[in-house]
Amino acid sequence: MQPNICFYFQVHQPYRLRDLRITEIGQGDMDYFDELKNKQIFRKVAEKCYLPANALMLDLVENYPDFRISYSLSGVFLDQCREYGMDVLESFQKLAATGKVEFLAETYYHSLASIVSVEEYCQQINKHVETIKELFGQTPTTFRNTELIYNNEISQMARMMGFKGIIAEGADSVLHGRNPNDPFRPPSFRLPSNIERIIREHRPLAKRSRDIAVLLKNYKLSDDVAFRFSDKSWVGYPLDAHTFTDWLMSSGGTSVNLFMDYETFGEHQWEDTGIFDFLRSLPAIWQERGIKAVTPSQLIADWKKENTQEYDVHNTISWADMERDLSAWTGNHIQDAALGSIYSLEGKVKESGNEELINSWRKLLTSDHFYYMCTKYWSDGDVHKYFSPYDSPYEAYRRYSHALHDLRSRLHT
Amino acid sequence: MSTHSLMFGWEYPPLHLGGLGVACQGLVRGLLHHEVKVTLVLPYESETDDVEVRFPTDEIVQQLRICSMLQPYSTQESFEANIRKVPKIKKDIYGNDLGEAISNYTEMSVKMTEDLDPDIVHCHDWMTYEAGRRAAQHHNVPMVAHIHATELDRTSNAPNEYIYNRERLGFEAADKIIAVSNYTKNVLVSQYGITPEKIVVVHNGSFDLGPSAELIESKRQQHTDNPMVLFLGRLVTQKGAVQFLEMAAAVHQIRPEVQFVIAGDGHMLEELVDVSLQFGLQDSVIFAGKVGSMEVKQLYTQADCFVMPSVSEPFGLVALEAISHGTPVILSRQSGAAEVIDDCFQVDFWDTAKMADCVLTILREEALAHQLRSYAPRILGKLTWQRQASIVNSLYQDLIYC
Repeated sequence: MQPNICFYFQVHQPYRLRDLRITEIGQGDMDYFDELKNKQIFRKVAEKCYLPANALMLDLVENYPDFRISYSLSGVFLDQCREYGMDVLESFQKLAATGKVEFLAETYYHSLASIVSVEEYCQQINKHVETIKELFGQTPTTFRNTELIYNNEISQMARMMGFKGIIAEGADSVLHGRNPNDPFRPPSFRLPSNIERIIREHRPLAKRSRDIAVLLKNYKLSDDVAFRFSDKSWVGYPLDAHTFTDWLMSSGGTSVNLFMDYETFGEHQWEDTGIFDFLRSLPAIWQERGIKAVTPSQLIADWKKENTQEYDVHNTISWADMERDLSAWTGNHIQDAALGSIYSLEGKVKESGNEELINSWRKLLTSDHFYYMCTKYWSDGDVHKYFSPYDSPYEAYRRYSHALHDLRSRLHT
Repeated sequence: MSTHSLMFGWEYPPLHLGGLGVACQGLVRGLLHHEVKVTLVLPYESETDDVEVRFPTDEIVQQLRICSMLQPYSTQESFEANIRKVPKIKKDIYGNDLGEAISNYTEMSVKMTEDLDPDIVHCHDWMTYEAGRRAAQHHNVPMVAHIHATELDRTSNAPNEYIYNRERLGFEAADKIIAVSNYTKNVLVSQYGITPEKIVVVHNGSFDLGPSAELIESKRQQHTDNPMVLFLGRLVTQKGAVQFLEMAAAVHQIRPEVQFVIAGDGHMLEELVDVSLQFGLQDSVIFAGKVGSMEVKQLYTQADCFVMPSVSEPFGLVALEAISHGTPVILSRQSGAAEVIDDCFQVDFWDTAKMADCVLTILREEALAHQLRSYAPRILGKLTWQRQASIVNSLYQDLIYC
């Protein structure tokens, strides 16, 4: 039997910080975010990726009965849609209206809350689920944590919250040669009672789920499209849709999970690389060969639970960098200081009851702020540099620390 | 057979005024490590009347000293001041003006090295270019012109025409030019009309391997009521001491307890003292004057932050020195050092408000200061003179054999 294909695309934009100055701290009404830059970047990506890619997807979904896709749209991305791009939001709503596009749940602020504060984590997922319901008229049943940050506890928490599936990286170090194309399940254990209590208080879905399927990203085949598609030094270049389909089918299992940033289409891989044509040609080939592109909830509905293997993750994994761990956001002194400081304000920020303050604080929780402070490969000019809107990790920290200090001063007044 | 480089230098430790001498020594030692034979010809003021050829102690280097009035960073004006101090009889050797002195220096250097059999001629900065050109011609070997600082850097784009032309002629005569940074390479391309293909960038290296873990840790523990911010350089427009004071004034507004130390001397001292008074910094700025190597070490170690606000800095070895003492640095973007040092703040020299903000952030955020102190020195291990000299040696081989 040949495997299904499961496409899931991550869509996210952070609120980047302005060139804040110490002299502004405590002066009141300090806006931390770079309105102009955020808008410019959003519009640029909208024109290059979101709008043309959504138009293409709509066309494909409407014309090929067995072609379905799924998205995870971060809450801060949706906020930016409302600020800078109602056209983008509407194009996603059109996709939702086809009934063939599934939306996943994630943390609203694309935060690292799962590894720091369970309460904040639950609240953000709640807010995200409510927003997806409101905007797209569907209730997410599959969860994806920020940057696929995952461990056994995160998986059990998602089950307790009511999710039937969770997305994770198919890490070699955990798979030990097993095929990532089959659904897995986490080891079963009881969460500490205080965590269970917090989840009960903030459960985003009606009731806990009895079981949870772990859907793993097939990183080799996903990265062939996301990273290597236009790499002329790659042995697979140029990637042909028929060849790629052969690779997908020969990888076996239940479903090849192709998870990637949506910006792959038109932004990371520019239009002139032929990425849109490649994507356009896939559903026809798949239809001819009887291959279905399904959503996570379809996969889970068909999940044969017996003989499911355990995906046992003690040390937290993610889909970031070569390390596929937390080292993109934590580990150096400035990252740890920033992360420690922002979460230390959680109690006071929430007690203040000041919605504007809470919102500013939450926008500062977005993982990108810590990603920009990463110094792992700084001198080798790696992807962190490519994606950073700032000159250096230190510039990222300078701006961030000013925002933190201002936030603190607002709490005292 | 080992390669023999006939090198025309300008200044050399312990007698040196700036980074050039240090860089020259680093390069020579690095080349010796790669078994390149170096004969170094140096001009500087000497007490002896005769033009003496000497082979001093600095390891295996043969130094041919040429008696000359020439000093690095010479201008016609300062040359005249020097020449007035010289007894009449000596003037015959040096000549009465800078041009004549250079031409005498050139004659003598070429004459003294006639008997050598070099494979390549390598000369450092404009005063030696003509000597290098002639020696290369005489020995019929390739010529490398090394540029450590241009006249445009030194004069903030108001060059002495004579010097500018000497530089340009040297660049044109050379088979290859070594620039100490991409910043300098760009100056040569845009201001001297040199083709980029002719220029190879070899950043300066470092002798130091960086601070000890104990020093970093002791700095972490150390808490002072009066943090100190350091400037070190000649007090000339190029080095940006005025910008340093503007930054100091902005910091002073927020943190009046911060102390600023300006180390170095130069013709702008009086003006800078005036400016610091105008800014109300009389109790906050210390002018340390010219400092010896022990004092320099102490200042670097003591400083909570080092600022290099240069208006135009081909490289800026002081930045590497500060880092090697575990001191966080803020660098002018108009510098070569900013190309190689990652763990620092970089600002445009004119943006003194942002410079002040960076200083204040470093002083406020211990995690940031600690990371800059402990991460920045990693570059020192990568940027050794041995490694940089190996790039120069490859260039030699290309020129000699290709």
